[in-house]
Amino acid sequence: MNQPNDDWLERAKALLDDSADNLDAATLSRLNRARQAALATRRKGPSRWAWSAALAGAAAAVFALAIGLHQRGVAPPGAPVSSLEAADIDVLTSDDDADLAENLDFYAWLEKQPAGGPRG
Amino acid sequence: MAAEICLMAAFDGGRSDFGAGEESRSLDGFLRGVERRALRMAELATQSRDEALDLVQDAMFGFVRHYGGHDGAEWPPLFWRVLDSRLNDWHRRQKVRGRWSFRPDDKDTDEDPIALAPDVREPGPLARMADGEASVALDAALRGLPLRQRQAFLLRIWEGLDVAATAVAMRCSEGSVKTHLSRALANLRRALEAHR
Repeated sequence: MNQPNDDWLERAKALLDDSADNLDAATLSRLNRARQAALATRRKGPSRWAWSAALAGAAAAVFALAIGLHQRGVAPPGAPVSSLEAADIDVLTSDDDADLAENLDFYAWLEKQPAGGPRG
Repeated sequence: MAAEICLMAAFDGGRSDFGAGEESRSLDGFLRGVERRALRMAELATQSRDEALDLVQDAMFGFVRHYGGHDGAEWPPLFWRVLDSRLNDWHRRQKVRGRWSFRPDDKDTDEDPIALAPDVREPGPLARMADGEASVALDAALRGLPLRQRQAFLLRIWEGLDVAATAVAMRCSEGSVKTHLSRALANLRRALEAHR
């Protein structure tokens, strides 16, 4: 039930609704283009900027790896690459190990469990 | 590992194709439903349709980017939150440029709530005005409100958000929403009475 004091608020809402409903065609067209442009950013997935950033990051990582390997190269020629280095390179270059790298804590915990499974 | 982090960040914004079309249609429907009111809200704040369109477009981009993946039920306060943030930024920029001298002081004044309480027998300040005149008077009265009061009024009364959702949209406490709204109603009533 509307109190007397709510009447002017209802009128105000109706006036505001009218003003929003009666926008001119040019404004509606611009709103439509703005909406479509915003939605397009969602549909097309990662932006060109994101791809560029990813590639730049990957290039930086490879460069850092190359520098690291070069600096370790002071070891006697022909010396075997340490197992840690080999593992690092494997993780960085193999897609298969991405899951392992992300869940190292979990796999470390799993390895410590007794063969028959966790006690419970 | 840096490469991995970068690649993860790059793909963070992209969701799987599953349901993407449906989601786009929902987002489209939602934005279509709020865009006109958003424009009017921005226009009341900026007093310029071009600036208002820019702000609404910016808000749409920000909303889709940051909250498009949220549940649809969460969209209304989040969209208005993004727009409110854009309006606040715009307002701050104007303040810095010193171009908003035409606006009244944005600080809420401490007024006697009893003196501001309306007479329940009074039919209301818009009652005796014709539509055209009432619309002009209402626009002027709304433009004259401080930003926070105007936003509280538009989000609570026009948009119909509840107090909690309005607080989310305005990034303030529910108590602040009630205070802003109460002052907005008193100031609007006073401005419209004066216009009569």
